[in-house]
Amino acid sequence: MAEPRESHRWKWLLCAPALTILVLAASGPLLIVLVYSFLTPGNMGGVVWQFSTDGWFRVFFRRDIFSPEDVSWNTAHLTIFWRSIWLSLQTTVICAVLGFPTAWFIATRPANTRTVWLFLITIPFWTNLLIRTFAIQELIRNSGTINTLLLWAGVIDAPIQMLFSEFAILIGMAYVFLPLMVLPLYAAMDKLDFRLVEAGYDLYASRLQVLRHVILPLVKPGFIAGSILVFIPSIGAYVTPRVLGGGRTMMLGNLIDLQFGQGRNWPLGAALAITLLVIVVAALLFYLRTLNREEGGRHG
Amino acid sequence: MKDTRNPPEIEIARLGKVFGTGAAAFRALSDIDLTIAQGEFFTLLGPSGCGKTTLLRVIAGFEQPSDGSLRINGQEVAGKGPNARPVNTVFQNYALFPHMSVAQNIGFGLKMLGRAKSEIDATVDEMLALVQMAHLADRKPAEISGGQQQRVALARALAPRPRVLLLDEPLSALDLKLRKGMQSELKRLQGETGITFVFVTHDQEEALTMSDRIAVMSDGRILQTGTPHEIYHAPRERFVADFIGDTNFLQVEVAEADGTAAQVTLPGGARHLARLPAGLRPGAGARVTVVIRPEQAQLVAPGQGVLAATVERSVFFGTDTHVHLVLDGGTPFVLRRQNSGALPEPAPGSTVGLTLAEGALQVVGD
Ligand SMILES: Nc1ncnc2c1ncn2[C@@H]1O[C@H](COP(=O)(O)OP(=O)(O)OP(=O)(O)O)[C@@H](O)[C@H]1O
Ligand SMILES: [Mg+2]
Repeated sequence: MAEPRESHRWKWLLCAPALTILVLAASGPLLIVLVYSFLTPGNMGGVVWQFSTDGWFRVFFRRDIFSPEDVSWNTAHLTIFWRSIWLSLQTTVICAVLGFPTAWFIATRPANTRTVWLFLITIPFWTNLLIRTFAIQELIRNSGTINTLLLWAGVIDAPIQMLFSEFAILIGMAYVFLPLMVLPLYAAMDKLDFRLVEAGYDLYASRLQVLRHVILPLVKPGFIAGSILVFIPSIGAYVTPRVLGGGRTMMLGNLIDLQFGQGRNWPLGAALAITLLVIVVAALLFYLRTLNREEGGRHG
Repeated sequence: MKDTRNPPEIEIARLGKVFGTGAAAFRALSDIDLTIAQGEFFTLLGPSGCGKTTLLRVIAGFEQPSDGSLRINGQEVAGKGPNARPVNTVFQNYALFPHMSVAQNIGFGLKMLGRAKSEIDATVDEMLALVQMAHLADRKPAEISGGQQQRVALARALAPRPRVLLLDEPLSALDLKLRKGMQSELKRLQGETGITFVFVTHDQEEALTMSDRIAVMSDGRILQTGTPHEIYHAPRERFVADFIGDTNFLQVEVAEADGTAAQVTLPGGARHLARLPAGLRPGAGARVTVVIRPEQAQLVAPGQGVLAATVERSVFFGTDTHVHLVLDGGTPFVLRRQNSGALPEPAPGSTVGLTLAEGALQVVGD
């Protein structure tokens, strides 16, 4: 009788290290951030231990400096929210569109060369993110490689402004996060039974129909995993928008950084961080629910 | 025999298939010549690795032949993909789409052909009834048994009404009882639909019971094509005789030969008539191999019959008993006798005589 109880206790003991790390590393900081978001900013940064909802208020609204009772939407912040979401969505789509043929190419190589291709995919991870991002800057800046080549070839007469734009951020993020889409897609394709593809052809499907009715539904788990892996770090991206977007094309990560640095408004920064978290969780829930509904609809 | 009078469905001429190139090249099919008639139940039979699947895949369009020609219903199909041939395949592992229901699987081919929804639904219902799966139409393939998956695979391949159905060892994953049931079900379906079946198996009994005609393959070649009766009773080569059924081989000397038959001298000196395969004309005095099926010899008293032998042992099989003998001269010989009535079991070590049925001897090439 005593034994199950005993083993139960052991289970908890065995879990203890993992739980401790979870509490200390994840929940602890999160709790601190949550508490800070309800405090008053200190003059030199930091916080004063006095309850205030001003940080949260400023996330969405602004007060006129001269007539404080004039409240309006904080359009600068809302623009940044929207830009973060929109750029991350585009990044996810670009990664999916580029990642699918890449993963397909690897999955259809002979088994002994696949590891080589996978290895090549992971090579960018060997170099620091900052350096890779500066390399992209070098490629697309006004006197950079691409513009120089185009000028030299006579395609254009003035350099195209690519750097410090949403376009530049998009290129950078798609480049950085592409492997995170390719790897789960490859894993899904690796499990794909290619005889099903043959069965599709045998039953009069064209190449496109086989792709749509057989391959895509079967590698969907890879797309789901890849989309989540790309979208979440995209929306919180910091280095890429900082280097390629310049000071004005900010994303959420940069805005948060600004509040903890020059802005000296830690509660606002903390509130923005929590907002980012809420956006991510909401996006995830929405995504998974749509998927479930689709699934339910198909057999219903 | 009836079906060979029908017009040809599949005509294969001097077809070959080589996998790989250079030093790694491997010839999987050589010089295949084959005509399959419309509505025929045609079986490819042969040991593992002889090229049965490869030939089926060439017919389906998954592989392109390296040389030779392949016509389906009079049209050259070389270069056409599987989706442009009026041929459907029942895959060995069924290859049902796991993300679709049973009904969606069956309707897939018609959907890809762009048929109207009402037509698809009607055909799916018809197919579900044909394979007795109507009650499981909404299940996923993972939620039905192996035998049921087999039937769905069959229905899926039949639904677009192909001219030819290719079946690659469709019954090999089923247990014996289910297998027997599916064998007769396949025959029934073929009769009801009139579709030409090309069936692959390495089970000789399955081939004999189900086929209109059989092609026996070995090492990428077709050794012999014929009705089950011809393949069993008139094998042309030692390999064919050995592969189909239990067989006794005997070395004999030709006494005299005409076009289709020869008088041969058995090891004991007795004379017996032996049939000759087409194309083989041994001269008098030549030593040839003859095939004797176990059920075509009978035990008689010692000193009688055409052969003399010593009994080694008897093995009881229920309906019949296999008597293992050694002929005078040392050749092993197995004899099968039906257990009707109470025949005395021959005692091991006793000497016996053997008589052979008329037409029991068939000369084979080596
Ligand atoms: N894609 C391929 N590349 C190279 N060799 C192949 C390929 N496919 C088959 N072969 C070879 O061709 C030969 C015939 O193979 P096949 O699959 O047709 O045999 P099978 O008669 O169907 O055998 P089994 O009864 O075991 O299924 C084998 O030796 C096989 O190794
Ligand atoms: Mg095979």
